[in-house]
Amino acid sequence: MTLLECKNLTKTYGKHTALSDISFQIDGGHIIGLLGPNGSGKTTLIKLINGLLSPTSGTVYVKEEPIGPASKNIVSYLPDHTYLNKNTRVQDIIGFFADFYEDFDSLRAYDMMAKLQINPLQKLKTLSKGTQEKVQLILVMSRHASLYILDEPLAGVDPAARDYILETILSNYDENASILISTHLISDIENILDEVIFLKDGTLHTHALVDELREQGHKSVDTIFREVFKC
Amino acid sequence: MLKKLLKYEWKDTCRLLLPINAAIIVLTVLGCAMLSTSIFDSEASLFFAIPLLLLYVLSIVAFSSVTIIYIYVRFYKNLYTAEGYLMHTLPVTPMQLFHSKLIVGFSWFCLNSLLSTLSFMALGFAAGFHLEAANINYDAFNMNFNPFVSFADIFGYPLPIFLLWTLALLVLSAFSSILMGYVSILLGQQMERNKLAASIAIYFGIYMVIQIISSVAMMVPEIITLANTTEEEFTTNFLSETFRVAFPVVNLIYLVLSVAFYMICRALANRRPNLD
Repeated sequence: MTLLECKNLTKTYGKHTALSDISFQIDGGHIIGLLGPNGSGKTTLIKLINGLLSPTSGTVYVKEEPIGPASKNIVSYLPDHTYLNKNTRVQDIIGFFADFYEDFDSLRAYDMMAKLQINPLQKLKTLSKGTQEKVQLILVMSRHASLYILDEPLAGVDPAARDYILETILSNYDENASILISTHLISDIENILDEVIFLKDGTLHTHALVDELREQGHKSVDTIFREVFKC
Repeated sequence: MLKKLLKYEWKDTCRLLLPINAAIIVLTVLGCAMLSTSIFDSEASLFFAIPLLLLYVLSIVAFSSVTIIYIYVRFYKNLYTAEGYLMHTLPVTPMQLFHSKLIVGFSWFCLNSLLSTLSFMALGFAAGFHLEAANINYDAFNMNFNPFVSFADIFGYPLPIFLLWTLALLVLSAFSSILMGYVSILLGQQMERNKLAASIAIYFGIYMVIQIISSVAMMVPEIITLANTTEEEFTTNFLSETFRVAFPVVNLIYLVLSVAFYMICRALANRRPNLD
């Protein structure tokens, strides 16, 4: 069964077209890189998939269901900014996730918090920005979701933190689940990707298997990306 | 899921609104305690009694204002800023999100209005009891009256009916006030940019239109009454006539507004958001 299907998705803001006629499908058990330079429409596409934006035209289906409570129940989403109430204690946020998401694994969350020496009694605002982002990642990856959508999880963090984030992502998703990961730091994630989607000026430039792409061009995805998006 | 949303909505709003309502109770108890002593009996005490009374009234008004503003801000911040990324990705329907905010906001506003009304009444009764106990003779207290008959003469309705109208007014005004803010925020969200500024402008626009309609709706029956009565009758019965007209007209206006605002909210809240 197709996990995610976008059909002729278009999003305009006044005269500006952020996304134009995007269509693609994603199956289960893959890690897909959503790649493109700033302003190419990655975040807009992710927000459309999560029901945070209304499309100008086109549709999104998750496991053949339109966006709604059923799709949100199986999609775990990490936005590109902090979105939790900073006056809340870490343990209260874990409780909140456990209450609303049937697939949330509290033990896994507490275990990962403990490894990072994050005190669950601490309020979010007392943690550094980097630690807050790690808390968000832990919450998102503590779900047994069918689709993980991670918007720029590596942006603005040091290389050591990047390693931790990638390790957390890879060690916490189920084999049948898929991960759609948006980034422009391709060299960091190239080795873990099964597929890539290149977005250029709001249009779908490429959607291919990583191995095929490498074989065709005899180049790394990072090199191909640099060629496609050369300024 | 609505139960869970309500649980967290209560928990989050309690942080600010519980202390505010507790402050009204504390203020009322302090006021009643002061009024039951003899410190305000002498004429000289007016020097500090009037500022204290003003401070009390201003505090009650401030608590009510903070309550309604907080309910609006909470709705906007929790659903249409960064926190909206979490709320709108929960496996709940848009109407469950909306109703959780509406039920909790309405309950807090009703509680606040009820406590404010009871506070004014408690202070009034405390002052009255003290004056009677102290045998301070005022003209108003020399009347040998049946409270129910006199009340109807003065206020146009017997006391129980008057209280029922007041309760209906409190509930309907709370409901329409909350929904007016929500409608403004939801309409502001339909704009491509400057959504918050648009919401504020829409709110004041709706407020002005309602004020104009209410004034006209109140004035027309008054003018008709004036035309059919002598000037003396009108002057004597002014207060009772005003209440007789005001209660049904104002309640009807609030009822119509509540239904209209709710229908608009339903239509807008069911749409997918456009979070920045």
